Amino acid sequence: MMLSRFVLAAVLVVIVAFGGTTTFMYLSSKQTHVAAPPQKPTAATPRAQATTLPGALYLTQSGAIYRLTAGRFHQITPEAGWSMPSLTPDGSQLLAVKYGQYWSDVYTLSLFGAPLRQITFNQARTGMLDPSLNHWIFYPRVAADGVTLWMTYDGLKCDGCYDVSPAIYSMPYGGTIRQARAWTDGGYYSGGDQQPIPTAGGAIYTKYDFGDKYDANAEHHISAMLWFTNRAGSYGRELTTPGEDCRTPSLSPAGDQVAMVCTYGKQVSYLTIASWNGSSLGPRTNILTSLLVAQPTWAPDGSGIAFFAPGVAAGPFQLWFLPREAYTPRPPSPPPTPTPGGPHNGPLPTPTPPPPIPPVQPIQLTTSNGFDATSPMAWLG
Amino acid sequence: MAGTFAYFLPAAKAAWDATGAIVRVTPSPTDLFTPSPSPSATSTPAAAITGAFTILLLGSDDDSKFNSDHVLTQSMILVRVVPSTKEVTMLSIPRDLYVHLSTGGTAKIDGAYSYGGPGAAIATVEQDFGVHIDDYIWVGLLGLVKLIDAIGGIDVVTSNPVMDDYYPADIYSSWPYDFQRVAVLAGAQHLDGVHAMQYVRSRHGDLESDLGRSRRQQQVLIAIRQKAKQLSPEDLPGMSQAIGGELKTSIDISKVARMLPLAASFDNPDSIRQIILASPYTHGGAPGGSLYPNWGLILPLVHQYFP
Repeated sequence: MMLSRFVLAAVLVVIVAFGGTTTFMYLSSKQTHVAAPPQKPTAATPRAQATTLPGALYLTQSGAIYRLTAGRFHQITPEAGWSMPSLTPDGSQLLAVKYGQYWSDVYTLSLFGAPLRQITFNQARTGMLDPSLNHWIFYPRVAADGVTLWMTYDGLKCDGCYDVSPAIYSMPYGGTIRQARAWTDGGYYSGGDQQPIPTAGGAIYTKYDFGDKYDANAEHHISAMLWFTNRAGSYGRELTTPGEDCRTPSLSPAGDQVAMVCTYGKQVSYLTIASWNGSSLGPRTNILTSLLVAQPTWAPDGSGIAFFAPGVAAGPFQLWFLPREAYTPRPPSPPPTPTPGGPHNGPLPTPTPPPPIPPVQPIQLTTSNGFDATSPMAWLG
Repeated sequence: MAGTFAYFLPAAKAAWDATGAIVRVTPSPTDLFTPSPSPSATSTPAAAITGAFTILLLGSDDDSKFNSDHVLTQSMILVRVVPSTKEVTMLSIPRDLYVHLSTGGTAKIDGAYSYGGPGAAIATVEQDFGVHIDDYIWVGLLGLVKLIDAIGGIDVVTSNPVMDDYYPADIYSSWPYDFQRVAVLAGAQHLDGVHAMQYVRSRHGDLESDLGRSRRQQQVLIAIRQKAKQLSPEDLPGMSQAIGGELKTSIDISKVARMLPLAASFDNPDSIRQIILASPYTHGGAPGGSLYPNWGLILPLVHQYFP
């Protein structure tokens, strides 16, 4: 198919060479398919179908938050810089980031998108004259205790230098940014510490840093590593190696598994899972290697993992779902049963083996959207 | 920088050439190039290229701070394509490399283009690195943005967050010395032209500065190549209109059709070799903050992958 396209392209070049302006104008009137803009989720056809996800899934596209329930998308905020939704532990409210030109802030919203409270105020008074005076906040999450807000925040910027490596911060959920304290140092000119996931006693997060600082055999370039910290001001410890290049952790509903994305330093993005005992990860298993996976998110009922990936090669990111059966060990097959028959004197008939079970494939739920793959999803059970 | 369009751009150029000056393309500078040994010698124009070839990709800041005829090349990437083995090698040449220029004297290699255009940039790389360059592609800032938008964006696994408080606001701003905050987050994502440009151009927040962004430039080039495989003929006019006068290349029309089949034939990401001339290949301390090359290490490497 691809080959025929390029053969066609070669023919076209010849035609254009002889056809000149007429051919060009004709072709100009054709709608290009590669640059077709994504459709809004609420207008996309076909709508989410084939599999109806349980509960309500919150995700973002073009600065708006959408809620997916019963197979239909509902836009709950305007396209106004909204991103990174997460849920409070009791599931009664949303948190989200809202981008300004050079800053971003955390807001609390109702489950239907109405802003309830602006938690941070990161726009500097003179920030348009000197943009560096503003601050970024990303990936807000409220811990299970309901009172601690975790986030990525560039509060450690120094005057007169260029380093903007954000660190992992926590603050009282009902408090102000003045009460925030840094749990990590953010590194040094490397991209910082990102996307904290609160756990019992601490947080898992993604550290971007030069791999050879932690592994003498690693190359000197920036890698992603999952880290765990259980004490503010401590460095914490590595959960994955620089060579694995893993990022964007997501904790399973039971708290005993972590889904992540690992790239091994290449332009690939594997969906990987590992067991989690509260302080360390078990062996990693790459459960999906055929797609460019982003932001894996566990279903609250444990039925699978939602994630973003392109619908077509090099295309915008769509919503996908991987059923649990794809990564859960299957029960052993029952022994083959002999074919029933009457008494005979010859050899027993050969038992019929059960047919092989086809592997469970990921399900593409949308086809024409363009979801923000750097924004995690929030899933309300 | 955005030059790895070598895989698909030839088709666009064919359309442009035939339909009249939509893109400013430098006439094939035959005085600059020695005949390409294998590709150019083929008698059948439409036959696919089977011989290896090397292209020099050049990217420049060409905003209004600069005289359009005397821009520096912030990005210089040698790309060698070996169709027979389906191997691609990308070697990023640090813009700050302190070398002998073909036009005389020693200076940062990014100045070669400003002194003598693409011919001087090519001659400098050829003389210092001991390679033969078959063709070049030059693109400016807006050209890259427009091109990526014209192809509908690209999918990139951004290796790290790019946070820059002093990113130049010179493309769309009326005051080209202005700056802005940018934040390109990490991970697999679909980037439009502006954000792809931010990702490959920013260097303030990267400890490796220019070397760090060279790695990111190679990531984006791979993504552009991937997207190029999706292009169909009807995409070409839109692309040509979008890029405007932001591209120059020496690739002639006879090579165009013969390059086309290559686009679909390179599928294995492991077949793309990415080389950055970091330490010990280069080290600081040269005049004006430039880098000294360690030719004793660089030349064997170059001769191995760019024979």
